[in-house]
Amino acid sequence: MCLECGCNHPVPFGVKVLSVIAPGLLKPRVPDGPHTIEVHASLLAQNDDAAARNRARFASHGMLALNLLSSPGAGKTTLLSRTVDVFGHEQRCAVLVGDLETDNDARRIHRPHLPVVQITTGTACHLDAEMIARGLDTLSLDGVRVMFIENVGNLVCPAAFDLGETKRVVLLSATEGEDKPLKYPPIFKSADLVLLTKIDVADALGFDIATAVENIRRIAPQAELIQLSARSGEGMDEWHDFLRHHLPV
Amino acid sequence: MNLSRRSARPVLSTHNVHEVGIMESALALVARHAAGHGDRRVSRVVLRIGALAGVEIESLCFAFGVVSRGTVAEGADFEIEEVPVAVYCHGCHLEFAVETGGFIFTCPNCGDLCGEIRRGRELELSRIEMT
Repeated sequence: MCLECGCNHPVPFGVKVLSVIAPGLLKPRVPDGPHTIEVHASLLAQNDDAAARNRARFASHGMLALNLLSSPGAGKTTLLSRTVDVFGHEQRCAVLVGDLETDNDARRIHRPHLPVVQITTGTACHLDAEMIARGLDTLSLDGVRVMFIENVGNLVCPAAFDLGETKRVVLLSATEGEDKPLKYPPIFKSADLVLLTKIDVADALGFDIATAVENIRRIAPQAELIQLSARSGEGMDEWHDFLRHHLPV
Repeated sequence: MNLSRRSARPVLSTHNVHEVGIMESALALVARHAAGHGDRRVSRVVLRIGALAGVEIESLCFAFGVVSRGTVAEGADFEIEEVPVAVYCHGCHLEFAVETGGFIFTCPNCGDLCGEIRRGRELELSRIEMT
């Protein structure tokens, strides 16, 4: 009789010998019957491990790392361009910018004094921690105090992916609805700072700033809130103060 | 439950791409555990997903059907345990569960808005069953 399953298949001579001299070798390696394996493992473990390595790397350079998230067109690139033009002369900054395709944003942000790397994700709807690690490998990090990471424009998927950032910044622009925080709660709930951007055009668009602020407060009570316009400069001092305040000592 | 969760055939969008990536991670874990048990056929895969995990349940189910093809989990039952949100109020030192359907978390004791989320972001492979 077969040793594996008890069927009537004839047993080869070699197996008969083995069953006498080393029976342990022929025992089934797995128990029979239905079997439940309790796994309880995070599906993002690989990303979270890479994020922890990034976080340690930022810390070892004494660097503040910010993950900027918003819908497409909320003003991340314009904000960064204006920030590096002013604050970038006070503290050395660098930028990692993610998009599905093109290096347009990296070219918009590029300045002689500023290391910038464009990460094109292809079809991926968010940056992940390993993309950031590869991006960091290509940058000269000497003396950099603030690393801006401009995420792919998307209010859904990037929320789940820790990049190793020190602070998470979510932008809501006056060209969007005041109820965006109510429609996309997870990302606003993960924010350390919410920036209400393009407030210079709020009146013209009929955007009610008070309602937007109230919605942000209700969805994201944990977050700081700054209203600004990168174009007019209003609120930019407060944003720069936020950066100074969170620089590692 | 909203309309998009009820729709029978989810539209393939960037949103689904996200769920496909999550499912690839889940099935890689399933395959690793199955390999440690003689590559037996997997009959059930159970995930734990928090209400704030940022993934769409319907899209995950769709992704399971697509990504599991040709793997040890092809044809397996797919189950999701949804984890409700639990929030902490610092003023009252009180942890409270949040009923589904809203994302504005106010303390049932003092009425303050609370931002410290204790549970509800889970994205886990809970267990697998094999025949």
